[in-house]
Amino acid sequence: MNDFLGPTAWAVLSLLLTTVLLVGLTILRRRRELAASFREIPALSELPEELGRAAETGSPIHIALGRGGLGSVDTVTSLAGLQVLEGLVDAAVSYDVAPVITVGDPTLLPLAQDLLRRAYERNEASELYDPGRVRFIAPAATAYAAGAVPLGAPEDVTANVAAGTFGAEVSFIADISSRHGTAKRGAVDTAQAIGALYPATSRLAAGEELYAAGAEISKREKYVTSLITEDILRCLVVLAILVAAALALIGS
Amino acid sequence: MGHVIKKWIPIFIATGSGLLTLAGYLFPDTTLSAYRDQFIEWVVIVAAFALILGVLNILRVHSQRIVNSAEGWPYSLILLVAASIAWIPPLFSGPTGSMTQGILDYVISPLGGALAALLAVTLTLAGVRLLRHRRDPLSVLFIAVVALALLGTTPLLGFEWLGEVRAWLIQVPGMAGFRGLLLGVALGTVVTGLRVILGRDRPHSEL
Repeated sequence: MNDFLGPTAWAVLSLLLTTVLLVGLTILRRRRELAASFREIPALSELPEELGRAAETGSPIHIALGRGGLGSVDTVTSLAGLQVLEGLVDAAVSYDVAPVITVGDPTLLPLAQDLLRRAYERNEASELYDPGRVRFIAPAATAYAAGAVPLGAPEDVTANVAAGTFGAEVSFIADISSRHGTAKRGAVDTAQAIGALYPATSRLAAGEELYAAGAEISKREKYVTSLITEDILRCLVVLAILVAAALALIGS
Repeated sequence: MGHVIKKWIPIFIATGSGLLTLAGYLFPDTTLSAYRDQFIEWVVIVAAFALILGVLNILRVHSQRIVNSAEGWPYSLILLVAASIAWIPPLFSGPTGSMTQGILDYVISPLGGALAALLAVTLTLAGVRLLRHRRDPLSVLFIAVVALALLGTTPLLGFEWLGEVRAWLIQVPGMAGFRGLLLGVALGTVVTGLRVILGRDRPHSEL
């Protein structure tokens, strides 16, 4: 019994439950074409409008993907940051205002370049693809954040979007945006980055909201299903916490 | 055939290596952990090659900026000159040589320290700007809590109670919020990771 309730068993059960939910919801939504409704996160849902403004002014937006990369503890956060990029690149390419993308870990460089290249191919404009729109700044967190705007995106950008792995150093990006009067958006999941960005912008997707980026921006089926799965799991966790707390109170 | 190569082979490799690595963590006492360690070693090697790509990207972007005389091109020139010089000492004296250590001690460390110190300035400035641009009760509360948390660690005679207020703020609402945030992030991480392993998300595939 003790073995069954060990951390490994719980991890396997959680993964199985998540997999069943993901696959089950995908099949269910395909068969019944269920409409999904979820809470709007202005920091993410308004990004396409921001892109429209960028198209009007002819200036790009800057997407900072943070210091995270593949093969580290930040891998999944970095993939979530890439969802923001994925949701925007097609519209950006069709408006002819390809975003400037900066990365602080070189492993994200080919992935971000590939996303941009594919968007150009889908829009039948491969010849316009410029891999130099994706820029590696520095592997050190503070050096990356301090250099992301002045070195990575010196063009007049209409907005700076920080989406991915950041700490308090994201304050550098927010500060430069404030001084230039540029719009600021953030989708970050660490307490330090949330604390640093909260006073700088009211358009902040905090914590798990970063993982809702794909669903909010692109509304693609795979992301919507993931978001619903997350919501169901969150409700289960809340229920488990409340039941455990109630049992502990009764026991004492 | 092209479809198989572009779609299914990357999915097979990604899903297979992902599942094996995950299983290696879940069942560490089996041979699966050997596969896990092998995959992690490969990740380190791939990451090293990615660093070369990163350096080439820096050279390309900043060379273009100099050639086009783009705004701020002198900074790009300084960057390229510094990058060209910095790799010479480690090449001749190794990573622990006195010249390499000198660059670390007298250039990189002070610069890193200066940037870290600047962070306190930008964070304070953000607080000032908050009250200028968003004058609402929540902003005032935010600033008040920041001030209390900072004063709570300052040894002010007669205001020792501030330390207790700080401790309560951090341990009760702060920690509770942080715990909720961590749980949410963990759920997001699991779902996003599984999506890649299940092949629903394919950052590696053409199709």
